[in-house]
Amino acid sequence: MKMLFTLIKLQLNINFGISALKYRFRKEKTRLWEPVLVGLGIFVGIGSITLMMTMLMLGIFIAGKSVNHPEMVLTIAFVGGPFVVLIFGLFYIISAFYFSKDMDILIPLPLKPHEILGSKLAVVMVNEYLTLIPVIIPAILVYGIGTGQGFIYWLKSLILLVLSPVIPLAIGALIVVVLMRLINVRKSKDFFAVVGGFLSLLFGLGINFFAQRIPKGHEAEFFKQYLGQAGLIEHLGQKYPPSIWATYGLSLHNMKGNLDFLLYIAVSALLLLALVWIGNRFFYASILSGQEVTRKRRVLSADEMERSYRKESSPLMALLSREWKLLLRTPVYALNGLAGIIIGPFMVIMMFTAQREQREELFKLINNPEYIVPVSLGGLAFMLFTSGMNIVASTSISREGKSFWISKMIPAAASQQVMAKFLNSFLISAFGTIITGIVLVGFLNFAIWRTLVLIGIGLLGAGLIVCLNLMIDVLRPKLEWTNPQEAVKQNLNGFLGVLVSLLVIGILTGVSVAFIITKLPEWIIYLLLALIIAVLLIPSLWGLIKLSEWKYKNIEV
Amino acid sequence: MINIKNLSKSYNKGAVKAVDNLNLQVKPGEIFGFLGPNGAGKTTTIKMVIGLLSADEGSITVNGFDTRKQSLEAKQSIGYVPDNPDVYERLTGLEYLNFMGDVYRVPAEVRKERIQYFTEMFDLNHAVSDLIKSYSHGMRQKIVLTGALIHDPALWVLDEPLVGLDPKSAHQLKELMRAHCDKGNSVFFSTHVLEVAEKLCDRIGIIHRGKLVAIGTLEELRKGDQVDTLESIFLELTEK
Repeated sequence: MKMLFTLIKLQLNINFGISALKYRFRKEKTRLWEPVLVGLGIFVGIGSITLMMTMLMLGIFIAGKSVNHPEMVLTIAFVGGPFVVLIFGLFYIISAFYFSKDMDILIPLPLKPHEILGSKLAVVMVNEYLTLIPVIIPAILVYGIGTGQGFIYWLKSLILLVLSPVIPLAIGALIVVVLMRLINVRKSKDFFAVVGGFLSLLFGLGINFFAQRIPKGHEAEFFKQYLGQAGLIEHLGQKYPPSIWATYGLSLHNMKGNLDFLLYIAVSALLLLALVWIGNRFFYASILSGQEVTRKRRVLSADEMERSYRKESSPLMALLSREWKLLLRTPVYALNGLAGIIIGPFMVIMMFTAQREQREELFKLINNPEYIVPVSLGGLAFMLFTSGMNIVASTSISREGKSFWISKMIPAAASQQVMAKFLNSFLISAFGTIITGIVLVGFLNFAIWRTLVLIGIGLLGAGLIVCLNLMIDVLRPKLEWTNPQEAVKQNLNGFLGVLVSLLVIGILTGVSVAFIITKLPEWIIYLLLALIIAVLLIPSLWGLIKLSEWKYKNIEV
Repeated sequence: MINIKNLSKSYNKGAVKAVDNLNLQVKPGEIFGFLGPNGAGKTTTIKMVIGLLSADEGSITVNGFDTRKQSLEAKQSIGYVPDNPDVYERLTGLEYLNFMGDVYRVPAEVRKERIQYFTEMFDLNHAVSDLIKSYSHGMRQKIVLTGALIHDPALWVLDEPLVGLDPKSAHQLKELMRAHCDKGNSVFFSTHVLEVAEKLCDRIGIIHRGKLVAIGTLEELRKGDQVDTLESIFLELTEK
């Protein structure tokens, strides 16, 4: 047990970078505002989601109360929360158990398999609280306050909240460990990363889509209609019994309630025991079966060799091709880089598939000559949003990581290297802009000539956004990482890049509003916008080149 | 080939002096072995020669080019292999070599000849179409080596080049180093294997706590005492 706790402490330390943080505050004393900003960002992010969920839970509570089942809110929270944990947790567990680099250090140590497994699971669990807190706490609060519960309720709630990730994660871990024994997931790591990423993206978009369908101001009626049928709790409970134990454990203050509460705890403990047993039997075997390196080891034919040498290209094209290949071939980069291109147009399509009355109103608005300019500029904002919501530019130097020595060593000027990065990011943003344009024409009946003009301005804007995003990464690249995830997901530059993009979009929106108010002709507005962006873009590009020439010299690797 | 004058570099805002007023020349046609205990300043010096680190003070010229003012020309004259071959894992070996060929502006015909020569010598021809991600440490070392030599640079700078190489490849690399210098070029390399330095190097420099404590041919280091091995000289100089 002592060993397990030591390991958990170590894993939590590594996962949250506690020692690194201490070192930064005590020894380095540089960029101390960064962790504070990240902490604040997480707090605000979770806080706002919790607030949104509280509103939703309140709607469910009121609907439930009107059919005499106020406890329904608890069932939904204890089904929904663990469901999300299971979906996200599966990929998280696979990555923590099988793809973490420290396994090579841990396995040779005299540790029992379940101790390593347990410590990894504990880290996943701590992270999953971030997912669970916004779902479960609002339900507990809404029900507790709404029905005037006493001390015992709050105590039980706390225990169930702490235990809530155990059952889904233990189930997830059991599935993963057994599955890994049968198939070699390690071999298809990239495939799993892509599938996992896209599932998460689809899940997020799906929730958004569902939320769009809830009529604003009529949430309680909506839930009543969908969820108010008799026996809903039992119905849900059949799918995931722990939710019903949690519901009755908290809402009933009698023998059945107490038994259900104990049952929840007992099942959590049993599943953990099962995991220890399975872990000791299968964990190492499944890890080791995935250790083999896969390589085609195919000798190229003379003809293939000949063809590959004929591809001589300029240094700029070689650098661009390097950027492009490394981005697309690293799943986490490709997903984070290309997600924006999917989300932007998807949002437009979602507006199109909204409820009929809303859609008709939207079409009336679009086709009304009086509103044509603001609507078109809204389309432009979508294009710029699509360009701004990717992290390709704002992490493009960071992504080089430990191989940055190659960029420092080769006889290619910093300006040339950064220009290749600019082109690479711009191509992706341009692709997003054009796709958004096509969606605007196809789904929202935008005139083709107008869309072409908007795409033109959008491309200029994409250039500006990419340039500013790239400046951020040139100024403060994050080259120290061991897992590509850290280069994009745990990189403050991505967040700063999005902020800068939103700032640019905000300023351009303000300018556009001013143009609309002054009733300038449509084509003059487009011309002025293009001019403004071009006037900002040219010095930005010059600044980027100068900045890179200065900064590349000073980045030490 | 290399001319280092009054070179200094410190870390942690001056708290750790990694290289302290170093003066060193590597002549054309010589293999220069750079020795020193762990943390003595070898890699820091090498990185400053390549341009990966900037010096606090002093100057470096490579093949007549000031590494600060004419950095691109200096880089074109150098082929560098680091001690840890961190290289683009998601490129195939051939893509990496073609990338290096392009940035060093090596014509396709010449490139083809060199890649074939090195990949056959290092037994890599069966692996060049695979992603570098699937390579072993030694294979990565070989692909980095091939990439560094693809433009036939006048100066090879190799940081622990023999680590991870199999005996056959290590032997071939040593032969290559000799042949390269026989054509009037130079090799500047660091190693912990004193026997290799003893047999291979024309001159040796020993760095300790950032300072060059000895430099010269093996004979000069022995100071006429034929019994002394490089190991005993090294230990004597670095255990003070």
